[in-house]
This record gives sequence, structure tokens and C-alpha cells, in this order.
Amino acid sequence: MSRVAIVCPGRGSYTEATLRSLPPEHEFVQAAEKLRADYGLESLLALDGAPRFEPARHLRPAHVSALIYTASMIDAQKVWADHEVVCVLGNSMGWYTSLAVAGSLSFEDGFHLVQRMALWQETGVAGGQLIYPLVNEDWQPVPERKAAALAAIAAHPGQLFLSIDLGGYLVLAGSDAGLAAARKALPPVQQGGVPYPLRLAQHGPYHTPLAQGVSDAAVADLSGLPMALPRAPMIDGTGRCWSPWSSDLEALRRYTLVDQVIKPYDLRAGIAVAIKEFAPERLMLLGPGNTLGGITGQVLLAETWKGLKTRDDFRAHQAGPDAMVVSMGLARA
Amino acid sequence: MSTNRVAIVEGNLDSYLAGARPAPRLLEPGEALRPGSGLTARAAIELFEDQYLSRTLDVVARDMKRVGEGFYTISSAGHEQNAVIGAQLRLTDPCFLHYRSGGLMMARLRKLPAATPLWDTLLSFAASSEDPISAGRHKVWGSRAAWVPPQTSTIASHVPKAVGMAYSLARSRRLYLRGHYQPRPGVADAHAVLGPAHQAIVLCTFGDASVNHATALAGINAARYAKRRDKPTPVLFVCEDNHRGISVETPRRWIRDFYSNRPHMQYFEAKGTVDEIWDSVALAIQTCRTTAGPVFLRLVTERLWGHAGSDVETAYRTLEEIESVEAKDPILLNAQRLIETGAATPEALQGIVAQTRRRVAEAAKEAIRRPKLHSAAQIMAPLAPADPDAWRRAATQPIDQAQRQSVFGAHLPESVTTPTRRTLASHINHALHDEMIRHPEVLVFGEDVGRKGGVYGVTQRLQERFGEARCFDTLLDETTILGVAQGAAHAGLLPIPEIPYLAYLHNAIDQIRGEACSLQFFSNGQYSNPMVVRIAGLAYQKGFGGHFHNDNSIGALREIPGLVIACPARGDDAARLLRGALAIANESGRVVVYLEPIALYHERDLYEEGDGGWLSDYPCPDGSPDSALLPGDVGIHHPEHKDLLIVTYANGLRLSLRAARTLAAEHGIRARVLDMRWLAPLPMDAIRAHAQECGKVLVVDECRRTQAGVADSIIAELAEGAFPGRLASVRSADSYIPLGAAANLVLIGEQDIVGAARKVCS
Repeated sequence: MSRVAIVCPGRGSYTEATLRSLPPEHEFVQAAEKLRADYGLESLLALDGAPRFEPARHLRPAHVSALIYTASMIDAQKVWADHEVVCVLGNSMGWYTSLAVAGSLSFEDGFHLVQRMALWQETGVAGGQLIYPLVNEDWQPVPERKAAALAAIAAHPGQLFLSIDLGGYLVLAGSDAGLAAARKALPPVQQGGVPYPLRLAQHGPYHTPLAQGVSDAAVADLSGLPMALPRAPMIDGTGRCWSPWSSDLEALRRYTLVDQVIKPYDLRAGIAVAIKEFAPERLMLLGPGNTLGGITGQVLLAETWKGLKTRDDFRAHQAGPDAMVVSMGLARA
Repeated sequence: MSTNRVAIVEGNLDSYLAGARPAPRLLEPGEALRPGSGLTARAAIELFEDQYLSRTLDVVARDMKRVGEGFYTISSAGHEQNAVIGAQLRLTDPCFLHYRSGGLMMARLRKLPAATPLWDTLLSFAASSEDPISAGRHKVWGSRAAWVPPQTSTIASHVPKAVGMAYSLARSRRLYLRGHYQPRPGVADAHAVLGPAHQAIVLCTFGDASVNHATALAGINAARYAKRRDKPTPVLFVCEDNHRGISVETPRRWIRDFYSNRPHMQYFEAKGTVDEIWDSVALAIQTCRTTAGPVFLRLVTERLWGHAGSDVETAYRTLEEIESVEAKDPILLNAQRLIETGAATPEALQGIVAQTRRRVAEAAKEAIRRPKLHSAAQIMAPLAPADPDAWRRAATQPIDQAQRQSVFGAHLPESVTTPTRRTLASHINHALHDEMIRHPEVLVFGEDVGRKGGVYGVTQRLQERFGEARCFDTLLDETTILGVAQGAAHAGLLPIPEIPYLAYLHNAIDQIRGEACSLQFFSNGQYSNPMVVRIAGLAYQKGFGGHFHNDNSIGALREIPGLVIACPARGDDAARLLRGALAIANESGRVVVYLEPIALYHERDLYEEGDGGWLSDYPCPDGSPDSALLPGDVGIHHPEHKDLLIVTYANGLRLSLRAARTLAAEHGIRARVLDMRWLAPLPMDAIRAHAQECGKVLVVDECRRTQAGVADSIIAELAEGAFPGRLASVRSADSYIPLGAAANLVLIGEQDIVGAARKVCS
């Protein structure tokens, strides 16, 4: 039993490579399918088992969020069985998953939260998110990129916001005009074959005031969301810890339905708090996919954790017996 | 012994939790532990988490020391009820903490998103250069983000500055709200503290032994004095009374007897159950906030495991006494209270204990591997930050003439011809005016500086022209003056305190040496307390005043790391030096002493009575490059002379110029005279260059012979630098200064200089 932190992925983690992530007989899949039917939404197994990945279909918020949540929960179940979970955190929608992984929400209530948030996002939230790297191919910081991103945000108040701090990347969110301004302001970067700034398909302007409508709907509809004390400490999108013994559940609900919807999400801080305050031997990145693998590695380098300073250091560390980052989605793929 | 007691105390808790039965009815999370209490079950568990985290860190600190990986074992064990204060204060209430503040810090940092109190504390035990507050320089409680400036606090020397900050908050807020100044970058969340919606209070903690220090008494006295004068001074003094200072027991009821009935300060006690303590603390905080006056809270604590890891407690306490203290372990008592009231189950507390022990132990394995300080340069980097280009830019910035006219009136100081307004004292006064115009955040204060305008008239009309908020009298205590200066700087202001006489500085010098000058060092440059300390001093007052008004030693200042000392002799230099001094303080957060030779304040003449040779024109702050002086900018008199270099300062300059005239006229020795102007750092580059040109050096040092001045250092530097010429010095005698004409018998005079010069040139 090693001491592990569970890291739940965000909305970008379901891709072509992750088709067929869901074992049809798994209790969570069965439960999810039932709930999907209640919502009148397409079967997850149909989506997951589709012969090919169709971005417009699969990446629809209402579909992709449920797929990710269910796949993550299945991975989390294995982690709980095999390890001592010292804390749970996640990226963006991964916070909702964290609540369920840590037992603060049941599987079903977590599913409702994820599903409804996604549905509200589909209705009437204009704008979106784009992602921009702050490190180079070798994962070393390029300070002028961060300066450019922060300057762009400062130059377009009310239109462009910091949405997620991933450490090695920033996610900016805004109105269409704000995003257009950001694309103009940010020096283009080609990295890993991907051109940045990169607009994230079908992502709304989450973690900004532009998502106030989603938050309002959530407060109106989910204020009775039954939350319990978590089984393990949770670290939220501000880097704050929620204790298994003393969490204020009303505050937790408020944070979930209001604060994190309209304020920036800081995954970098979350990972830093996890490694420093809870001393995990491993960071278990739940599937599907491995979108947080590099990002987690970049945070570890920024902290020179285990003395790691370069991407090569990280690769060598990961190849060794005490690899700190375990990507469950990758292992399955 | 200590280790065993640690295990016993930990075992007591485990045994209790293992045998405890849950209360028949569990409280709801929002339910109070007893009717009317403000402590809810949920908050009580949260508090227990913080307290036990602090306790576990103390346990692990000793484990780390045992294996040579930890370097600090003065613990918070037994003092964890101070977490109640941390839980109830706001993050915008600045905290000046003593060293048993682990619980308080855990509770305070909980409020700060992304804080890592466990990790930060381990790094500080391990003296890692990644320790976020001191970077391995000391185990201190501190945080930039949580506004906890680091204190070492072993002698309560932080009390005056805590009071100073409380005293300054209202002034700072007033200036801030009027838009008169924007706090310097780096002042934590200034708007939160100074904005209209907030009424910050300052917390200052200490122990029942350290409260007996003169500094503590001075600080508490100053706070009460301020209250008596209706000046808002919202400071919460917390005396964590563990009944003992190292091995010496505090007399019973000492703290209560001494502080419970002090006028102009409210007194509270926090003792008993955790919920009773919670409510007492709440009342004390509320009182301090609403009355904006000093409050003294005695928090009853215990001291477990001796003073520090190295303290063998059995040398002065019986086993029975030790066990009776352990029975009052606040962690154990809180666990009992939480379980008996139904606030928590034994299982929950066992879970907290087990999880905390595990994660602290595991994190410690990682923390000891983090980097350490590796070079003297790295260690000293924050000690004396220097940016001469920025200093010069700032010091030579022109001051708006229209603004100056609105303050000075029609006659600007640079245009005056009246002799009495062309003296050293007058030009310091003019320069203070100009700097108060330039920097709306500058405060001038001290004994008699306000209405009277200074004992020697140096601060005349400042209060009248800039208001009582910016120029004010303090009580008669140098420790308090320097405490106010540090506190004002912490609140974002730029203080110019005045110490009336150099001899009196020694009453309070630790406020500069141990506190103000060490702040950047122990905070790794994250906190600074920029200030220019004006000190009237040195001798030659024609026999008046005796030693205490003629003290001629700066040895105690010269040895302070990072301290800058400016020392003008002439009026025009004085103005330019003050501009430089302010720029150094403001741009780099440095502490600068500005030493004013009293005997030259009103001196007019140089060689003959009535020659006006010591009067000067006021250098206008017009932006010209020579409108300010910085370290290294020396004054050269008779640059064409090459027979001898006389290196001197202050009264020595006037004496040396007179001696130089005699030497030239009567002995054919043409001496160049170098006025150092800066006594720390010494302008050695300039001295070396001029020494090289002149071939022989005489240092004229009016301070006492043995390490009281600068002569030893200059001679040593030149000798070690293989200066090939002859070296000599004249210095005053190693004596206190007597009254009357006898004073001249122990001070150097012109004839001493002439004699030494002839000898060195023979």
C-alpha cells in the first residue's frame, strides 16, 4: 500500500485514443447508463464504443463530461482498493470528480453534478477557453510568454480572464472578442506539433465571471446537493484543503457551485500542496487519457521535486522503479 | 530524557483516545460546545487538527535533530491553545509572534489558499534555503502572504515595533485614503489593511518570562501612553503564560497582578476549556478592534519537554512536577473536551492523530533533502541590498518648485542670505521640508521635534507645515521611538525618527542592531523597514552638556551588518546627504543613520570669528547630478595639495581645515583634506586613490581611540592593501567627556593634528 494522491482529469481528457474506456459490466457504467437514460441523453457505452471518434459528438459537454467522470471513477475505485489515499484533487471538472472520488458525493450525486453543469454550460454561455504554453519543449519556463498572457488579460478587462493555471500552461477564457484579442496578443508558438494559442473545442469560459449564469443555475437547482465529509482530504482549485473531519459542508457546496465556477482554478497550486503537505509516494492520474501527465511533471520540475530539474530528469525518474507519476489512462491505452 | 517525555505525552493521548467512549449525543457541526459559546463542534475539530499538526511538527523536529538533520527544537508543545488566536484573527491583522507559535501559525495559514504550513515548518527546522520566510537563516515564524514578519523574539524586542505598527496604522490609513501615497510594492495587501472597510489590529505575543524585558515594558507602556493621548493603537498583547522562563519559575499570579489593573489597557484571561478560551480570545479581539486601544490577554499555557531539546528539565523540576504539567497537556485536555461534549468521536480524533503523524513523518524525509544555504554570498544577499543607480536617480529627482513655494513661501531656502538660515541646522531643516514634500509618506518624530521644533531647532515648522500626523512628539523613550519607526515602516510609511543624543541611542540600540537591520536578513528580503534615523551627537560643545551630550563613539553602530551611516559636517553637504540617505532607505529598504554633529549645527565660521566660512548656500533639489550625495561621494578640500592626505569627518573636518592652514603657513606642509561624509560603508576607494596621490595619510578621528570611530579600520584597510606610504592617526582619548573646559583635554585639537601631520611628514 503506497501513499498516493489521486488527481482527476478535466474536460480535455477524452479523445480518440480513449474510446472504449468503459467496461460495460462495471457497476459505475451500469449506474451511469441508467442516469443517462433518465436525462434522455445518449448512452455512454454507445459513445464510448463508437467505431470512430467524432469531435462534434463526443466532445459535446454533456457527453464528454459524463464519459470522463465515469471512467475516472472506475480508476479511482481501483486506487482506493490498492493504496492509501492521502489526498484527492482534480483539474477543473476534475473537482466534481474529486468530490465523488473522496466520497463527499455519492457516485450518483457526483454524476448529477457533472451532468447538469455540462448541460447548463451548453445553454447560453458565450465564449470559450484557449490554452497557451508557459514552458518550452524542455519544460523550462519562458517568462515572456506568461508576461504576454497576463498583459493580454490586463488589457481586456471584462473580456479576457485567467481561467486555469496549470503551471506549464495557462488556460485563458473570455468572450469571443476577448479570445480574438488574446490570439492577436499572444506570440504564436508551435510546440509538440501543436500550434498555440489553441482554442479548446466546445469549452465554455469556465472559472470566470462569464460563467455566472452556470453558477446561478447550479445554486438554484443543486443547493440541496447532499454532501458528506470526504474520506480523504481534498484540495480545491485554490489550493485549499478540505478535511475529512472538519470541512464546512455548506462552504464546500458554495465553493463548488459558485466560487470555482466564476474564479480562476489553480491546479499548479493544488499539485504543489498535495506533494508538500501530504507527502504522497505517487500521484495517481486517473484516466481517461493522460492529459495531466506532462502538466504534473512540469509542476514537479518547477518545485525541483526529488531534485528533478529537466524534462530528461523527469523521463529518467519515470523510467525508474519509484516513478512518482502514474498515469492510469496511459497504462490502459 | 526529553525524548522519553515526548513518547510519554504522545502515549498519554493515544491511551486516552483508545479508551474513550463517544458522548451519548454527538453535536451537529454548527452546534456550540456549550450553550452560548462561539466555538462550534466543527471549528473545534478544525482547531484540533491545527493544534495536533503543530504538536507533531515539534515531535518530528526532535527526531530530525537526533539524526543531525534538524537545527531547532524550541517547541510550541503545551502552547497550542494559541491556535485559538490564529483561528479568530483576520489575515489582515499583522502578527508579531514569539517562538512558541506553531499552533497559531497552523490555524492562521489555514485561511490562506495554497499555503503549505507543514512543509514550510519542516524546511525551517532543516535550515533549508527553500524555507519560504528566512531561507534557512533562522527558524522563525513568518509569512509574507499572511503578514507575519519574522521575529526571533527571545528578548521581547519585537514588542516596540508591534506597538509602532498599531500606532502607525491609523496614520497610514489616513494618508492612504486621502490618496497621498501608494504603499511601496511589497507591502502586503495594503488596501485590505488600510482601506476603509477594515480595522486591522496588531497581534504581539510573548511569554511570561520575556515580558519582564525592558523592551516589552517599554512597548506596553508606549501603547498605554498612546491610548491616554487618544491615539488609536490597536495592539493585542498576548502573554502566553507557562509559568516559567527556562528553569526559573514565574512567581504565582505575577502576570495577573502586574497587568490586570493597568490604566489605559484592558486585561483579559483565557484559561479553562478550549471553548472558554475561545470565548475569552474572541472578547479580547473584539475589544481591541472596537476600542482601537491596547488589550492585554493572558493565555494560560503549559511548557512540555523543557525549554528546548537540549534543556534537561529534571535538573530543576521533579518527576512529579513534570508529570503534573503533562497531565495538563492542552492537546489531551482538548481531546477530552471534544469527546465529552460530543463535538468529536474518539475515532475521528484518532484519525486526525494517525494521519497527521504519518504525513509529517513522510514529509520530513523529503524536507531534509531540500537545498541548504551554500555560500556566504547567498547568505548575505538580503543583508544590504544596493542599487546605486536607482539611489542616484531617486535622490536627484527634482522637486516641484510650485509645491516647494506653497510650503516655504516666497523665500525658498536656496535664496536666503541670512546667516542663521545658512547653517548646518537650517539646511537639515530645509532638506527635511523638501523630503516631506517629495515623499508624502515621510514621518518625522521624536522627543521635542513637534511643537518645539527640536532641541536645536532642526525640525522647526515641520509640524506647522505638514501637520501633526506627519511630524509629532513621542514620549521620552528611545526604544519606543525606534519601535514606532519600525512599525511605521511596516505600515508602508517612510520614517525619520530622531534620537536626541548619541549617548541615549545605547539605551535602545538593539532596536537597530537586533531588529531593524536584521529584518531583511531574516525575511530573505521579503520584509524591510526603511528609515533614516537622525541622531544628534559627537562632541566639541565648548564644555557644555558633559558626556551624555558629547558622546563620541560610533563603534556600536559601525559593527551592525547592513547599517549605513551618513555624517555631514557642512550645511550644503547635509542637505545632499539627507537626500541620498532617504533614497537608500526608500529604494532598497535600508536602515540609515544620519549622524548630526551638534557642535556644528549653528557654527558660522571656519578660521576667524565672523568669516562665515562654515555657512553655505542651500543646494536646490533641481535635478542636477550633484544635488545629492551617495556612499563613496567624498568631499575634497585643497585638491591641489599633495604632501599629505588628511582623512576625517564631522568636527574633524573643521579642525583639519584649520590645521591644514597652519601646516601650510607655518610648516610648509600642503595637506589635502578628505571629508568621508559616509562612515559606513567607508569610502575606501576614494581614500585609497587620494592616498596614492598624496603618499602619506593622517586619519583625524574625533571618536575615542579604541574602536569607537573609523581610524582603526581605515589604517588597517590601507595597510592590508599594501599602501606604501606612512600612516598615522589622531584620535580622542578613551574617556567619557567631562564638563567644562576639561572636555578639551580628552578630545583631539588642532595642535594634535598639526603635530601628527608634521611627524608623519618628517
